[in-house]
Amino acid sequence: MSQKTADVLIIGGGVAGLSTALQLARRGKSVIVVERGQLGSGSTGRAAGLLGQLRGTAASTRMLMDGVETVRELEKETGEEIFVQTGSLRVAATPARTQEIVDLVGMGKAIDFDIQHLSREEVNEKLPYMKTDDLLDACYCPTDGHLQPAELVASYVKWGRKLGVQYQTQTPVERILIEGGRAVGVQTASGPLYADAVVNAGGPWSYLIAEMAESVLPTAAIGHVYLTTRPDDAITIDRLSPGVRDRENRIYSRPEAGGLIVGMYEAEPEQYAMENLPADFDMALMKAARDDIHVAMLIYCAQQRFPWINERTPMTVTTGIMTFSPDGKAFCGAFPNLPGFFHCSGFSGHGIVQSPTIGVIMADLVTEGKTDYDLSEIEADRFFEQPGYLAREEIRNRCFEMAGNYYGRVEGKTASGKAS
Amino acid sequence: MKILVPTKRVPDTDQRITLREDGSGINDDQLPFVINPFDAIALEEAIRLRETGCDAEILTVGIGSADYEEQLRSGLAMGADRAILVQCEESLDPWNVARILQALVLREGPDLVLMGKQAVDDDASQAGPFLAALLDWPQATFASKVELTEDAVRVDRETDQGIETIEVTRPAVITTDLRLNEPRYASLPSILKARKKPIEQLPLEALAITLEPRVKIIDLEAPSQSRTCRRVDSVDQLAEALVEVLP
Repeated sequence: MSQKTADVLIIGGGVAGLSTALQLARRGKSVIVVERGQLGSGSTGRAAGLLGQLRGTAASTRMLMDGVETVRELEKETGEEIFVQTGSLRVAATPARTQEIVDLVGMGKAIDFDIQHLSREEVNEKLPYMKTDDLLDACYCPTDGHLQPAELVASYVKWGRKLGVQYQTQTPVERILIEGGRAVGVQTASGPLYADAVVNAGGPWSYLIAEMAESVLPTAAIGHVYLTTRPDDAITIDRLSPGVRDRENRIYSRPEAGGLIVGMYEAEPEQYAMENLPADFDMALMKAARDDIHVAMLIYCAQQRFPWINERTPMTVTTGIMTFSPDGKAFCGAFPNLPGFFHCSGFSGHGIVQSPTIGVIMADLVTEGKTDYDLSEIEADRFFEQPGYLAREEIRNRCFEMAGNYYGRVEGKTASGKAS
Repeated sequence: MKILVPTKRVPDTDQRITLREDGSGINDDQLPFVINPFDAIALEEAIRLRETGCDAEILTVGIGSADYEEQLRSGLAMGADRAILVQCEESLDPWNVARILQALVLREGPDLVLMGKQAVDDDASQAGPFLAALLDWPQATFASKVELTEDAVRVDRETDQGIETIEVTRPAVITTDLRLNEPRYASLPSILKARKKPIEQLPLEALAITLEPRVKIIDLEAPSQSRTCRRVDSVDQLAEALVEVLP
């Protein structure tokens, strides 16, 4: 066995890897994070940063509730306030969406999550800049909010550094080192690094990292766009006005620096093959063309809820790449074929909000081999070596379909009679 | 009324740009290209002039290879009515760009030429003024506001001394500055409509122009990439560090 450089190596310096590194360091492990670019320069840096805790199932909602607690803990430890608690709304303008909200409020209340129905008048009062006349129901989660992903990165790193985590940036991983049927390290341009465990937190690149270990990780890289309107004297957007999710129109929103962020989970998002992008591809430099169809679709959908937004509205457009899984849930843990090699990926557009608890779960799995959290939805090997989840193209198709349905499908027990 | 909007296809300047080893140009293998941002502003202004009441046909022009179609299509989606691609594989200096545009103006007879004050790749700022001179038309450069009057154009110009307001009779050449407007993203219907709009392919020979290269690039040198970072603990230390390095 080669000489150990650290207890754990983490591939990927986005929120998933950084949170995992922090939680491992809190348990006394020595950790090195290797990152191909800069910390938070991948999907993390292109995220809108919504912290919505309500999900389709009790298990995942609970996980996100704990995540907000962890963010509070981060704030206390670093002395930096990063979480902006604005509360958030889901709105429904169709009977199916109304039932969805009824189900979600029931589920939330059953697990003591702070949630309530709001009347159209109450919604209008909270969000005077939003169209409300077609709403049938809405629910309000006062403990939701948002943060700047860069500040979350800075907080993970500030605390992590204090605990001795090392961050090696501009260090792409070339190979996974395997000895005796176990992952023992990674090969980088500046040499090999050895550890007891290796964590693949490579975001959209994670399936390529898995391939380095001859494993098939069923994730795919899916495009995402959001717009940020510039402050406009005619439209007052309070910095503490609630975030909004309007799944029927496939959009979410939150206030940002006097303007409004509106993002979209579209039916036919862009697909990327990470292996075909330049070796030094930098997500921060992605830029939508003036006639980008996804931007046009986003503007159209944003307009359905915020009628003052149109193609002439001064705005910036942020384009990024998300990592989708075939069921929209993360992959956390090792595959049976390679002990010591853990995956932490597939957050399907919800990496920021999941990261605080995912760090705890990954630290549990790496150090103990088990966790108290309900893993059933996010077990890494749930599709392992299953037919239909082996070839890249079929995986990509499944993930694409999932991404397209992400806001389209109805959550809760409504649609299929059981939780999604 | 007809408005001609010449554009240039330039590398996206936000990307990391590197030089070819022989110094003959930039590595453009995987480089994304865009409409020169100042030209996009010119196009946006033409569209807004039409939206605010003047019944204008907007014609956008590119000079280059077949790759240019993508950017012309963007311009059509933003709102131009038609596009001309002058087929030319060579890279041109501003003088020859102006001569080609002169030939196009004579062919199309626009009332107004709206173009960027400069291209962000070579920053020459010459094509617009050359074109006005060749046509013997009035020009208003660095426009930050454009208003049509009966037979003239009133333009606010951004100068080092402040804003200068001038009026030029039409036809005229106007070059646009950064603060004139913010170009739009195309709407869904416009994108679909643009797919059917014509892009005329025009060989250089059809304009009966022989290129007269007057500028030769002798050498290109990339800006120095070496940077040193130093962490300081306080504002006082930062001030001291700055005093140290200031000349």
